[in-house]
Amino acid sequence: MPDTQALVNDFLNKLKKRKIEGSQATAKQTAELLRSVISQTRMPYTNQASALIHSVKAVGERLIAANPVELAVGNVVRRVLHIIREEDLSLTTAAMAGLNLSAESDDEDDTDRDNHPALSAAAIAAASRSTLRPPSLQTLLEDVPDSAAVPHTSSSGGDSEGKSKSADKSSRSRKLKHDVIEAVNELIQDISTCRELIAEQAVEHIHQNEVILTLGSSRTVLEFLCAAKEKKRSFRVFVAEGAPRYQGHLLAKELVTRGLQTTLITDSAVFAMISRVNMVIVGAHAVMANGGVIAPVGLNMVALAAQKHAVPFVVLAGSHKLCPLYPHHPEVLLNELRSPSELLDFGEFSDCLDFGSGIGAPLLHVVNPTFDYVPPKLVSLFITDTGGHNPSYMYRLIADYYSADDLVLERRTASGN
Amino acid sequence: MNRVGLQYLAGDLSGGNARCIAMLQAFQEAIRDYSTPPEKTLTRDLTSKIGGFVSFLIECRPLSMSMGNAIRFLKSRIARLPLTLSESEAKTTLCSDIDRFINEKIVLADKVILRHAATKIRDGDVLLTYGSSCVVEMILLYAHELGKQFRVVVVDSHPMLEGQKLLRRLVVKGLSCTYTQLNAISYVMHKVTRVFLGASSIFSNGTVYSTVGTASVAMVAHAFRVPVLVCCEAYKFHERVQLDSICFNELGDPDAISKVPGRVDVNYLDNLTDKQKENLELLNLKYDATPSDYISVIVTDYGMIPPTSVPVIVRGYRKEYLLI
Repeated sequence: MPDTQALVNDFLNKLKKRKIEGSQATAKQTAELLRSVISQTRMPYTNQASALIHSVKAVGERLIAANPVELAVGNVVRRVLHIIREEDLSLTTAAMAGLNLSAESDDEDDTDRDNHPALSAAAIAAASRSTLRPPSLQTLLEDVPDSAAVPHTSSSGGDSEGKSKSADKSSRSRKLKHDVIEAVNELIQDISTCRELIAEQAVEHIHQNEVILTLGSSRTVLEFLCAAKEKKRSFRVFVAEGAPRYQGHLLAKELVTRGLQTTLITDSAVFAMISRVNMVIVGAHAVMANGGVIAPVGLNMVALAAQKHAVPFVVLAGSHKLCPLYPHHPEVLLNELRSPSELLDFGEFSDCLDFGSGIGAPLLHVVNPTFDYVPPKLVSLFITDTGGHNPSYMYRLIADYYSADDLVLERRTASGN
Repeated sequence: MNRVGLQYLAGDLSGGNARCIAMLQAFQEAIRDYSTPPEKTLTRDLTSKIGGFVSFLIECRPLSMSMGNAIRFLKSRIARLPLTLSESEAKTTLCSDIDRFINEKIVLADKVILRHAATKIRDGDVLLTYGSSCVVEMILLYAHELGKQFRVVVVDSHPMLEGQKLLRRLVVKGLSCTYTQLNAISYVMHKVTRVFLGASSIFSNGTVYSTVGTASVAMVAHAFRVPVLVCCEAYKFHERVQLDSICFNELGDPDAISKVPGRVDVNYLDNLTDKQKENLELLNLKYDATPSDYISVIVTDYGMIPPTSVPVIVRGYRKEYLLI
């Protein structure tokens, strides 16, 4: 455990200091960290899934708190929790199917399975209790943690039953951990390859002699455009520079190195040029459950211009960017303000900073937000590693990747009734 | 004349009104120094001389719409000079005409605009302005002098960064200002109550021709249901019509885009190889055309008019030329 603790603290530091660039890198490192946490978790005899979930949640809460604006962290934590629940469920159904064959008929507890005397009632009861079920009203009101109920039942089993059950359970526990770690490895693999899968779809969307507009720089967009170029489609790209980080300059340099005809324009010229553009292709920082996009600053302006000129606005996003939360006041709550020195030189404007009104409040404020919120009605299409989707469909993908219980990660405080 | 031309070239003189006034004053000097050569009529020779000066100015920097209108005014005045006037009388008439033009169409017009626009500013307003327009600056300072309590948001864009100069002048006078760049406009627009914009010209279909980026500001303001007021003297109106920004525009220095003043860490475009330079084009537009549906009202010296009334003023205004 001390090993993992050091890893966790190290990662927390990096998140707090915003040292990791990009949601893909963040997602991958989060997944790798959680994999270590899982492999280090000590598994009790019963209710292994709850133990795993508990330990992942404990670490996950701290990670999210370190950088609440980087939604990829929360997404990966919730993905891992969903994986644990799913693997547990599939193992239990396999175990229950297996129990149908063994005919032990000790009736310890009276359960409601009297019409199946072939099944061991206690085993079934224990298995069904240890499976994680969606919260019922009773469990919510009682606030009884799952692990408290089960050991009582298993201790009341007979000796022979107990031995076979414990043998069952220890192999089950090893299997659960193993399955979960395998699934997390698959998740890491998916995160790493999402750009290739998105880029494969480029040919369907970019045709000959098209004009594409983008703003700032996104590695996903770069690979997307290069994939289309590989397939011998010739097209032009307008890159808006994306002040004040000017990452559009970087993207333009990359594109010309790979031989694409690129024109670098200022952000102010986007409205002027968009009438001559066939498609706008941009990357996203995160995609919210309603189909809204948290994107680099300036993209709401581009999306509005695209809507006015009836130009399709296409957003490329890997599935690790899909967040199961609905955005509330995203411009403020999901935004980060960067240093004003990117806009104004402190030295030059130091005289302006001296002028204060009578209460001493400065007259000059400088605002430098990092992100913009683009509402779903302005987005024409999402291209993810699973294919192209409408913004109205994104909420359905959430059911594939996340469980309803994990949306709120904060543990419930014990309520004194 | 050379001095004015060089000032345009260097970019020291910018803004429609300033350029127009400087040009007209240079013309006044030229007219005073002018003497008719023998065997030539004053009107024709002077007109061709003025034409020569105009070509020189165009070489330094393409004319703005306001300058174009002023030159047309001057040429029509020269053409209307009665033939009976002596040379010195003609010269003084022309110089006084130019003075009257500057006074009536620019200086007094601005005062009228100030009065109209100040009625639209209430206490507690958050006013947004883009770039640096002399008329909007005057309005803000005037309203501040009247004692109205409001905040100003100055939006700026690369590469001109004109907003920084405006910001400095406003803060010095004691206005509470917020400074941001164009990309953050959706972030600030939530709190803004009014948008004040300047214009280089307004076309007869109501399209506002102004500094590049104005269209984006007006569009976002419209999306957030914030009223947009364009403040423009009537002499800048033009009978052209234009639907988009590409057909008629001015290109600025392309290298200005790749340089970012004061930020060494973002000079990504230094040291490009030849192959890279071959594929890369830098486009620096100076103007853009804002569609009339984004504009709520145009404040001119003829009053506050909707964008659809611009051709009415253009038509009436042309007649005024003849009556002077």
